[in-house]
Amino acid sequence: MADRRRINPPSGPTITPIFLASPSDPPTQPPHRTRPPHEIRKIFLKTGLTPSASGSAYLELEPSSSPKPTTCVDRSTSALKLTCTVHGPRPLPRSVPFSPHLLLTAHVKFAPFASKHRRGYVRDTSERDLSVHVETALRGLLISERWPKSGVDVVITILEAEDDGPAFTEGGSGGAGDGAGGLSGWGMMSVLSGCMTVASAAIADAGIDCSDLVSGGVAAVVRQPSFPHTQTGASKASPKEIVLDPCPSEHADILAVCVVGYLRSRDQITEIWTRGDMEGLPGEEGSEQSNFEVLLDQAVEAAVSSRLVLDAALKEATEYKLQKMAPALPSSGEKVKGSD
Amino acid sequence: MPPSTLLSPSELSYLHSSLSLDLPIRPDARSPTTFRPLVAETDLLPTTNGSARLCFADGSEAIVGVKAEVERTIGASSTSSDVFARGEDGDGDTKMQSAEEEMNEERRRLARGKGQDSWIEVTIDMPGFARDDDGVVVFLAQMLQEGLVADEGLRDRLWIGWGWHWRIYVDILLLTTPNSYPLPLLSLTTHLALLATRLPAPISRIDEDPLFNDDWDAAEPLYPPSGSAHASKPPFTLLVISVEDNIFFDPSREELAVADAVCAVTVGTIDAPVSSGKRREGTPKLRLLSLRIIDPPARLAAATSGTEAEDDQGAWRPARGGMKRAVVGKMVKVVLEVGGVGEEVMTGLEGFHDG
Amino acid sequence: MTFSIQALAAPSRTNEPRSTGSDISVDSDEELQAVSSVKRKKHAAVITPGELVTDDPQWMRGHGTAATPGSTAILATVAGTLLRTNKLLSIQPLRARYTPEIGDLVVGRIVSVETKRWKVDVSAPLLAHLPLSAINLPGGILRKRTSTDELAIRTFFSEGDLLVAEVQSVYQDGAASLHTRSLRYGKLRNGVFIRVSGTGGGGSVVRARRQVWTINTANGGGDVDVVLGVNGYIWICKHSRGELVASSEEAKKMNEITRMEEAVSESMYSNRNDEIPPQTRREIARLTGCVKALVENGIRVDEEMVMAAYHASLEPDGDDVPMTMDYDEGHETHEYLGGSRGSRVVAAAVEATKG
Repeated sequence: MADRRRINPPSGPTITPIFLASPSDPPTQPPHRTRPPHEIRKIFLKTGLTPSASGSAYLELEPSSSPKPTTCVDRSTSALKLTCTVHGPRPLPRSVPFSPHLLLTAHVKFAPFASKHRRGYVRDTSERDLSVHVETALRGLLISERWPKSGVDVVITILEAEDDGPAFTEGGSGGAGDGAGGLSGWGMMSVLSGCMTVASAAIADAGIDCSDLVSGGVAAVVRQPSFPHTQTGASKASPKEIVLDPCPSEHADILAVCVVGYLRSRDQITEIWTRGDMEGLPGEEGSEQSNFEVLLDQAVEAAVSSRLVLDAALKEATEYKLQKMAPALPSSGEKVKGSD
Repeated sequence: MPPSTLLSPSELSYLHSSLSLDLPIRPDARSPTTFRPLVAETDLLPTTNGSARLCFADGSEAIVGVKAEVERTIGASSTSSDVFARGEDGDGDTKMQSAEEEMNEERRRLARGKGQDSWIEVTIDMPGFARDDDGVVVFLAQMLQEGLVADEGLRDRLWIGWGWHWRIYVDILLLTTPNSYPLPLLSLTTHLALLATRLPAPISRIDEDPLFNDDWDAAEPLYPPSGSAHASKPPFTLLVISVEDNIFFDPSREELAVADAVCAVTVGTIDAPVSSGKRREGTPKLRLLSLRIIDPPARLAAATSGTEAEDDQGAWRPARGGMKRAVVGKMVKVVLEVGGVGEEVMTGLEGFHDG
Repeated sequence: MTFSIQALAAPSRTNEPRSTGSDISVDSDEELQAVSSVKRKKHAAVITPGELVTDDPQWMRGHGTAATPGSTAILATVAGTLLRTNKLLSIQPLRARYTPEIGDLVVGRIVSVETKRWKVDVSAPLLAHLPLSAINLPGGILRKRTSTDELAIRTFFSEGDLLVAEVQSVYQDGAASLHTRSLRYGKLRNGVFIRVSGTGGGGSVVRARRQVWTINTANGGGDVDVVLGVNGYIWICKHSRGELVASSEEAKKMNEITRMEEAVSESMYSNRNDEIPPQTRREIARLTGCVKALVENGIRVDEEMVMAAYHASLEPDGDDVPMTMDYDEGHETHEYLGGSRGSRVVAAAVEATKG
């Protein structure tokens, strides 16, 4: 007997609609990278935007540049927008056993409207995975003995995330992204890099003792865009190159990505996440490990660049606060109230 | 993270100082690259396409079952126009025997780049250790999946024809509460299970609904064995720790507790057709598929008592900050170099599977 | 060979050495027949729970047995071998949890700190207590405990610290109360900790005449102390004069016990390790390997067996693969006593003790 309490889905899987480009529109170009390979996107970073939290920061990356503006749904480009709030240090709940350290927990959550595919309110695997990465990156820099028996929560909300490579229409039109086209999730790696930078700014804003600041950097091995309809044999010929801070929608064919969380003053790495095929990088001939190290060094380069922004943003915020406080300092006037 | 190991400050300091000597001394006198002996068994579950069970020397044990299901590929029908064009030339054949081979070859050629990540699913169950949605479990599953999907060859081999593909479920069950970070155990078990996995041989043409040979002996291995034209091996993940400038493989629980940094290195083979010219016979060239830094448990579990002030110089404190670039580079080098640890593990596992 | 993997079917364990390892005296066949109404073969002196041991009213029931109400029958409650002590019948389980008894020398780990006492893990079903009044306070053995000491309780022992102690009394519920009011007891430093499964039977620590002794190790390792806790916790450390295992002869030599106590008490609760040369560390690692190999092969762990295994491990192993050179220095790997090498060492040790 059929189950009448619910509406049964179709017996077979459904096929997502594929939109054909209407002939009246000029064929839109996919966005492509206009900056030089070693240049990262512009970063906007500001701390102290959430007054209720002990520390907070907001980070935005400029959207990928499109040669001409388009109204096509699929081609609209998006930026990366992250907010981070830090709560604590605060006493640990009773259920947690005694700890002589500051316990850091990170929660990374995509807003439901952050990407093209709607995200649920329950954290999915990729979000949990990102949380573990962020925790790993941040735990190394806290001087945790100074805050015994306390915990700090780092909450990162992704308001807008980058698109994950060529969208579904791309796959239908002859599989331009051959080989690596099926491998996705590169966007996550840029998101992680942003998460680390913004979290580190928020922790500094919260005034928690750190031995250094961690900044995120991404480097990728991409295959340079070549003729649209090449066969597999020809694709090998198109050269590979390393680009810093790749925007997934700008590159049709990303082969490998490396994210690092880098402590510049200590010249140490607290987080690496790398995956993909690093074979046969240009210039560096020989064995595999040199390829990995080349990619790692490039990712560190990117992290060093984003560290400049991080430092500048923190300095700016502190100077601004000092300016606001300066008149209040000599005399205990009514302005003291307004300064915090 | 892994079950926190409660160790006294003097134990930690003893371990750390032993491991950071120029000629490091591990608590069980192993050399830095020696693995503890393993005990394994494959093809033990009759209802799976491939399975394996592995016991580590510390008593932890895992079992992996690989199941394959045929599934409709969503959104694949649009490409059928150029299929028929290509299907023609493969058709003008008279000999039945070679027609089948040709069909397989054709399938292999057409499958290139068609595979998708979502066709491989890895789930981990660790009863009593962590909840299913716990960060650690998710992290481990992602790490293992990452290694599998990074291999284009595997993804493409799951392609059956236009509109149909295999979906592989890798179910990992940890049978014991882990004594140390369970990643290498799970990964090596998965490797063995995948080596033993076979998929029924298709007898339908690529543009037909799939139909398979019901003879299990005719089933094709998911990873073609070495010696065949398209030989490849499943990836595996090794746990490497660093203490000062020394690196250690297969760390025991105590060693993990004092590690300055922990890395998970996933390696796989380079697909045979790509570099068939330069590689030596019998030793597949390895490549790095993914690398992740794992939070060293020392940061959480260190038992340095808060009451003791900085004057206690002898007590060891977990290293702050991260790891040096050179150390990461060394780890990758030791794994990947010819005759290195990766190769040794790969041949060890393969030797077990064949023997 | 740094990576080895063996099939599960391989006879990894033989029961042969087990019989030599058992020092539980099982009564001879005729007596057993008289005691038990159950007929059994010569070597099958194993009783399972619920089995009728005897219904003869002349016997008294001991550990591992239960009387049935309204009858004289004695039933077994654990699986194990029957032990008859005069008219007392008890069953010795093959593998059991440690049950504390007064006078036992145990190694324990502090798990929690309370206001006036510590809770200590001694591998028993219940945590043992160590009252603040039962430790040697710094500054003289006879000092009275003050409230200052209570406040500074974590400076003596804190979570994770290891100590060697004696069971002073056992509460009604089976929990032990420990004391360290002797120079032989106290905090453990300068060494490594090994955990061995429950007491009795093979592969564990058995109560013996001497639980603590000093080894003059080979290869310039100096003196090394071994502390075999009756509870299966083992501590192997560098010997430091006057402390921990100050044997009575040495104490007599010093002849001024109180002065020595004062000197010792200063560093009694320090967490700092002494300077330990690499040679000593290497020998400690070898001893650790010996103990682990004994356990893996199901041999009892006591002074005789540990010493025999240690001497056997020093002998070059003919069957072993030629020493493999390590990747960094010429660091031979044959010191690792795992897998087959461990079994050979243990077999040699068993041979040596027989002769």
